[in-house]
Amino acid sequence: MVSLTSYLIVSAALLGIGIYGLSVKRNAIRILFAIEIIVNAANLNFAAFTRYLDPPLVSGQVIVFYSIAAAAMEAAVGLALILIAFRLNSSIDVRKLNKLKG
Amino acid sequence: MEIAIPPDLVFVILAAVTLIAAVLALQAKELIYGAIALGISFIGIAGFFVFLDAPYLAMLQIAVYVGAVVVLILFTIMLVRREQSDELLDRPEGGQGAVGLWLAGLLAVAIAGVAALAGPNLPAAPPAGNLPVSSLGLVLAAEYPIPLVILALLISAALLGALVLAKVEK
Repeated sequence: MVSLTSYLIVSAALLGIGIYGLSVKRNAIRILFAIEIIVNAANLNFAAFTRYLDPPLVSGQVIVFYSIAAAAMEAAVGLALILIAFRLNSSIDVRKLNKLKG
Repeated sequence: MEIAIPPDLVFVILAAVTLIAAVLALQAKELIYGAIALGISFIGIAGFFVFLDAPYLAMLQIAVYVGAVVVLILFTIMLVRREQSDELLDRPEGGQGAVGLWLAGLLAVAIAGVAALAGPNLPAAPPAGNLPVSSLGLVLAAEYPIPLVILALLISAALLGALVLAKVEK
């Protein structure tokens, strides 16, 4: 059978991919991709832990339920922000979004 | 005749699909292909949820992530796309790519190392426990009714906020 450790390792790899995207990418939409990948890694961890350590209960699944809903909202608001940034700056390069700089 | 597929093999294939699609989502030349790869990665995660006896989460993952978030991202890409290639925008400057790779690699290896070290103390096989799909609904309604209502309010607020943000002012 698949052990809990395998899930944790897959989740850690997803987290690493997401962190790489967050730290390197300049396109705002790619950064949103990276955030979604990290959220998914966390969801996978919750589901795996609740299945292996807490079998009759589904508390981890409840957290994943809320997390998926929150991530969908975050994507909607984030994409709206990207649209405004594009309208104001005609670019979604995050290094160029420095209008708030004093 | 039933063909016995070892669960380990399914797990490895799922993991490979999910991870490769996640890398492609960040590295694909065209942003559109990246979004599609992201969708494939989400489907892989849904497969993991099926594996973990969470069919409702798998369904929610496909409906919300693959159905809504990826489509929303595709529309936004079409709205903000310009003729110039995204490749230029996404090329890391200087040593930034290497630094990011080291940072992410070290973090992932550290976490995976901790998980592997703790491996002997963690259960190798899931304990038997058949969880009906309805158990999640029962727990949500019986134990967490107020968070559910707050979640609904939050969703309305986020949708209104997104509408107000994206509105074109005349």
